[in-house]
Amino acid sequence: MPGGDFHPWLFFFLAAWILVCALGVVAFKKIMYSAASMVACFLGVAFAYALLSAPLVAIVQILVYVGAISIVIIFAIMLTEVQDGGYELFFDRQAVFAAPLAVAAAVVLTVVVVTSDIGALGDKALNPSIKGLSLLLFNGYVFPFELVSLVLVAAMIGAIVLARKEEEKA
Amino acid sequence: MSSLYWWLTLAVLLFCIGAFGVLVRRNVIVIIMCLELMLNAVNIALVAISNFRGGALGAGTLFSLFIITLAAAEVTVGLAIVIANYRNRRTVQTDQYNELKG
Repeated sequence: MPGGDFHPWLFFFLAAWILVCALGVVAFKKIMYSAASMVACFLGVAFAYALLSAPLVAIVQILVYVGAISIVIIFAIMLTEVQDGGYELFFDRQAVFAAPLAVAAAVVLTVVVVTSDIGALGDKALNPSIKGLSLLLFNGYVFPFELVSLVLVAAMIGAIVLARKEEEKA
Repeated sequence: MSSLYWWLTLAVLLFCIGAFGVLVRRNVIVIIMCLELMLNAVNIALVAISNFRGGALGAGTLFSLFIITLAAAEVTVGLAIVIANYRNRRTVQTDQYNELKG
């Protein structure tokens, strides 16, 4: 049973919530339902981080995923077409092959994870506090941190250039 | 069985659902959403391993923060490409993105 400072059933409820919402993203025909299901899934994942004693990641998850990425995706949905029709319009024909492939991958990976000795250390929560995390970030990892901000700026400029309307040639 | 196995199993299942969605859906925006699910699965695995194994002072948690940042950048550029493509071709269905076939 999953242990920690919380009841094990909380984990199972949370896992069921995350997986059902993820399946909703894949299965809904209406793309807005998919987006709503995705937001619910992101919230569940934020709760998972909180249970894993990583409150900073939980808050960042809500800010970035639930707040920003979802909004951008919903904007993109509203700027593009809405499809209506049968399931064959929404799913590729290769679903027949992809479904057993995905199930096989899930089974193999689960078996590999469960039979490994990766969890031999027990249930003690070892994640650093927010203070420890910030010390780590701004001491040893300050160069990747700056690099990531550079990537963000480049991505923003790239997005503007890509999505801008072509100017009429004179 | 210790907790880490349960969390990693959750991550594996979420990752496979996301991969399945990427493979089967036709709308490119839904494919991007499924990509985000896969990134979230990896983040759950990183945070769980960091929490139950310690190691390198919790660098796994830090990595998940970097991944979240890069996912934001990826979504911005990806959706900009989708919008630009939609403006030219009036579609977001992958089976109609067949220009590169020549």
